[in-house]
Amino acid sequence: MPAHDVLIIGAGLAGQRAALAAAEEGATVAIMSKVHPVRSHSNAAAGGINAALNPEDSWESHAFDTVKGSDYLGDQDAIEIMCREAPEEILWLEHRGVTFHRNAQGRLGTRAFGGASAARTYYVADITGQALLHVLYEQLMKFHEQIDRYEEWFTTRLLVGEDGSCIGAIARDIRSGQMEVFTAKNVILATGGAGQAWQPTTNALICTGDGIAQAYDIGAPLMDMEMVQYHPTTLAENGFLITEGARGEGAHLYNALGERFMEKYAPNKMELASRDVVSRAEQTEINEGRGFPGGTIALDITMVPKKRILEALREIVNIGRDFAGVDITKEPIMIRPGQHYIMGGVKTDIDGQTPITGLYAAGECACISVHGGNRLGANSLLDTLIFGRRSGEHAAKRAAGIAMPVVASGQISEEQSFIDNIIARERSGRRVSEIKNELGEMMNKDVAVYRDAAGLANAHEVIGRLKEEAKTSYIDDRGTVFNQDVLGAIELDYMLTCAEATVLSAIERKESRGAQFRTDFPARDDAQWLKHITVSRNGGQEPEVDYAPVTMTQWEPEERTY
Amino acid sequence: MPEYTLKIRRYSPETGDAAYWEEFKVDLEGHRSVLEGILSARATTDGSIGIRCSCRAAICGSCAVRINGKADLACHHHLDHAAAESPDGNTITVEPMGNMPIIKDLIVDMDAVHWKKIQRVTPWLLPEGPEPEREYIVPHENMVDVTQTMACIQCGACVSDCLSMEVDPLFIGPAALAKAYRFVGDPRDGQQYERLKDLAEDPHGIYDCTHCFMCIEACPKGVAPMSQIMRLRRVAGSDQKINDRNNGYRHEKAFVKNIEKYGTLHEANLLPDSYGGKFHPRAIPVLAGSLPAIVPALLRGKVTPAKALHHHKLPDQKQIRAIYDTVEGRDSRNELNLYIEGYEDEPVLKAAGEEERGPHS
Amino acid sequence: MKVAYWPGCVSRGFTPELHGSMAQIAPMLDIELVELDRANCCGAGVIAEHNMELADTLNARTFALAQQTDTDLMMNICSTCQGSQSECQERLDANTPYRDSINETLKAETGLEYERGIVNKNFLWVLVEDIGLDELRSRVVRPLTNLKVGPFYGCYVVRPTDRLGIDDEHPRDTYMQQVIEALGGTVIDYAGAYKCCGFPIITMNQKASLTMAGTHLGDAVDAQADCLVTPCPLCHLNLDLQQPVAEKVVGRELKMPVLHLPQLVGLAFGLEPKALGMNKHVVRPTSVIDWTQSVVGSAA
Repeated sequence: MPAHDVLIIGAGLAGQRAALAAAEEGATVAIMSKVHPVRSHSNAAAGGINAALNPEDSWESHAFDTVKGSDYLGDQDAIEIMCREAPEEILWLEHRGVTFHRNAQGRLGTRAFGGASAARTYYVADITGQALLHVLYEQLMKFHEQIDRYEEWFTTRLLVGEDGSCIGAIARDIRSGQMEVFTAKNVILATGGAGQAWQPTTNALICTGDGIAQAYDIGAPLMDMEMVQYHPTTLAENGFLITEGARGEGAHLYNALGERFMEKYAPNKMELASRDVVSRAEQTEINEGRGFPGGTIALDITMVPKKRILEALREIVNIGRDFAGVDITKEPIMIRPGQHYIMGGVKTDIDGQTPITGLYAAGECACISVHGGNRLGANSLLDTLIFGRRSGEHAAKRAAGIAMPVVASGQISEEQSFIDNIIARERSGRRVSEIKNELGEMMNKDVAVYRDAAGLANAHEVIGRLKEEAKTSYIDDRGTVFNQDVLGAIELDYMLTCAEATVLSAIERKESRGAQFRTDFPARDDAQWLKHITVSRNGGQEPEVDYAPVTMTQWEPEERTY
Repeated sequence: MPEYTLKIRRYSPETGDAAYWEEFKVDLEGHRSVLEGILSARATTDGSIGIRCSCRAAICGSCAVRINGKADLACHHHLDHAAAESPDGNTITVEPMGNMPIIKDLIVDMDAVHWKKIQRVTPWLLPEGPEPEREYIVPHENMVDVTQTMACIQCGACVSDCLSMEVDPLFIGPAALAKAYRFVGDPRDGQQYERLKDLAEDPHGIYDCTHCFMCIEACPKGVAPMSQIMRLRRVAGSDQKINDRNNGYRHEKAFVKNIEKYGTLHEANLLPDSYGGKFHPRAIPVLAGSLPAIVPALLRGKVTPAKALHHHKLPDQKQIRAIYDTVEGRDSRNELNLYIEGYEDEPVLKAAGEEERGPHS
Repeated sequence: MKVAYWPGCVSRGFTPELHGSMAQIAPMLDIELVELDRANCCGAGVIAEHNMELADTLNARTFALAQQTDTDLMMNICSTCQGSQSECQERLDANTPYRDSINETLKAETGLEYERGIVNKNFLWVLVEDIGLDELRSRVVRPLTNLKVGPFYGCYVVRPTDRLGIDDEHPRDTYMQQVIEALGGTVIDYAGAYKCCGFPIITMNQKASLTMAGTHLGDAVDAQADCLVTPCPLCHLNLDLQQPVAEKVVGRELKMPVLHLPQLVGLAFGLEPKALGMNKHVVRPTSVIDWTQSVVGSAA
């Protein structure tokens, strides 16, 4: 039975950074992921990573932009930490080999990004996430003696000790079907978001909210779950991401009348207003009949010189060519807002600790909250790295002072029969894939850019029914080796848990802030709602809604214009 | 919507049965991907079809398979194209990648081959000296240059179709060697010579690539692994003067000198020169070993003793020498990487097939 | 038609029968060959590996020489020349400043200048695209009936597809099959048709190199081919000249005759095997006997 000081679940940027930090502190580390680490969804973060590294820039400016972008729902102590530590993190990455773009002087160069008052986004073409992820994995390979990698292992449950602390996890080796108990002094969740609960989404098929639901199942509160980011530029055809870097490089948005409509909504920042603002503007244009057929908007990048496009935006040239049949260097591409990111997640403090002892969370599955009501572009990579590292360091230090916990026997057989029961379900209910599709389509209709009480009530009702149907849903694969089908059934439960928390929080928040826009409550209401909403089980089966204060340090809420 | 037939190679290690083909009909538009086709079959017909996949957008590198015999990401290959390539214009053959053991259906064991080879090239930066206080100062062009290899998503398509690896499983292979260039070409790395020496001396290293373009053809991200291998050879030989035991650099030098001297290839001198000259001890066993080929060739009059001893120089040989002098005399090599520079208009070679263009166009 | 003809080094060296057979069939196809006898080696990828600019300049010289002739296009009979020259042409044509810099050297040292956009085709492409299969068929006097022919493309004439202009309108990776059929032969489908002969690593890893050659030849034997046909003389070296050694490496008898493309065409045009230089092959083409034992038998 493997036992480690720190067990990290999820091997995207947050997980890998946590592993390296914990190993550096001298802890024994295991990192586990249901996919090979370089397949993680951090890959998809194209545009870059923010840091106030230029002497003319300041972390305070970065922090203020982030606070404003969050619509004042972000916790300012956490935001300060993130922005203060960002420059050092960029240099740490650079020294490890990230091939960041250079300026003519050979120094790190930047590009402009949405919602930022300075060009402070560092990047590798438009594959920044991929480049970071692969360089971190190089480091995992380098430190293979200190960090045990469990690649293609699927965590099915977190383990709780008698005192209520988290003491490990049970996981299934996907390749063999073997179940194993992993004992750990600390567990760090770094499992990413839950975008697959929406259809379409920019998120990968693996983004099913696993860690969020597993933490919730053992009593951890989820926070800011109503804050769901719709990215302004996703491919009309299939929801694939077109990086904000395109607008950072100068691309414009046009409606069917040929108007550069952002003039009306954000006269100063135009296309580079924060994402919630741009997505709402697009949706308004579409809803009011000024979109292109099929409800789309044109993204025009043809004014960017071709050489610059090849150097800086090659990936979206590929995406345009391969998935939309459009040469973006020559003609506009049709886009629309699409589900992209969840600002909410497992509630943590500034060291990644959740209220459950021994359980940490970092990256998209966590809510610290640095993004509040709306995340700025290029702050997500930063979030994963800063709080991944802080979680790893803190967990390693905590491990030094405590004994290895003991896991009660009988856990494996219990978990094995849970899985066997899914495999053995009769083919009388619905297919797992059907339920997933219904959930996704409903969420994209009722829990999207614009929301109202009726839609949210419908969402709540549908989720309740789907939860029941999921219990008898069936799969086809009866095998043990690479049974992806049974994992899909488990993931469906995770997505339903996340979707339910999102809908309950959205119903609760009777105002419009950040990514949550209620057409029935269109104004921001600081007096009533300048607070976080949490959802937790509190020991029972049914979710309970509660509140948490927003931490303010130096920025009082102001009207938000771009 | 058109109906496509996906003919998928199925295999489960648990049943004891051999691999078999199974056909699935999918109703999807032609510009949908083969992956979407497979996922549709999985969602509606048989959830047990095994394939790794995640991003659906050619970024994560999970879903490389062989489509109609050639490796590609399933998400990166349109159904209509795949159908058009198939022998009957409709039945799309999907099977697991080559050169790697199969685990189940379309899932191969990448750890056993791909990742083992990646690990082989010391795949992490080894800077020299103390870390700078801020970033390393690196020319813009160098960072852009290694961006081509950074574009690799480790999907394994190049490994799957590598023809050298097919006959020599120990060949380090296209993906790992492209990864090696990512460090060799990175000015921050301090081990350029050591890395190249290692890769040149390995009998399964940079000189084991047979220049077949399979990896270039298979790569969905434009990494052009073979071109990176050629750059490794260039830096190893011309810059670092690594005289490997595999005769890689000697052969290259002998060839290049041969043309400088004769203008066209003098084959009879090339082989011995590749081993250090006709009378070099290294050349003797090799030449003796090639006797079974040479004797019948002599008997057939294919190779005449006169031809072997005498080769006409080109009438304008001094032009060739002058070109050599100018180009080889430069302080640094002048290279054009089209991945970075792009094409001015449409790729002009498309026009090579157009009849109206003569040599004068 | 009139072509600026680049036979390549190997067809004038170790495979003289290729050059000879092309010269024999050209008039029968109404192709006038204007041989580029002052042109230089294409570099076979090796010079490009050594110094890209050197390879590009040398091939720009060859292209410029071709452009001085009064011809319809430039034609080669060697896949390796095709591939290496196409690679250089791709760079030369894609970028004007780069082409200008190459031309600067070329002009200074040779007085020549390359003009963007030369059409340079392998004989195989000329056969299908410029002469046409109907025309080819009409000149067949001795159809290759019952002759089972395995096409061996090798690498340089089929990959990379973009650079070589292979697309729906120009399915150049099927031309060998089309030509074999037009000549009346039967196409043999076997595993090695598009694989590497192994020649480029013969001096570095002889075992791997000849395992490639031996495996493909063995696959053709297993598929019951009478012979292979190739558009590449370098493939011919590994498949024919080295076949006795390849047999030892793969541990089986092969005895697979390998024909150059012009030889196959010449046979169907009624030429004597000896006139096509088939007596110069290391592996005697005695198994190419189905249509008339006496004719090819005499080649042995």
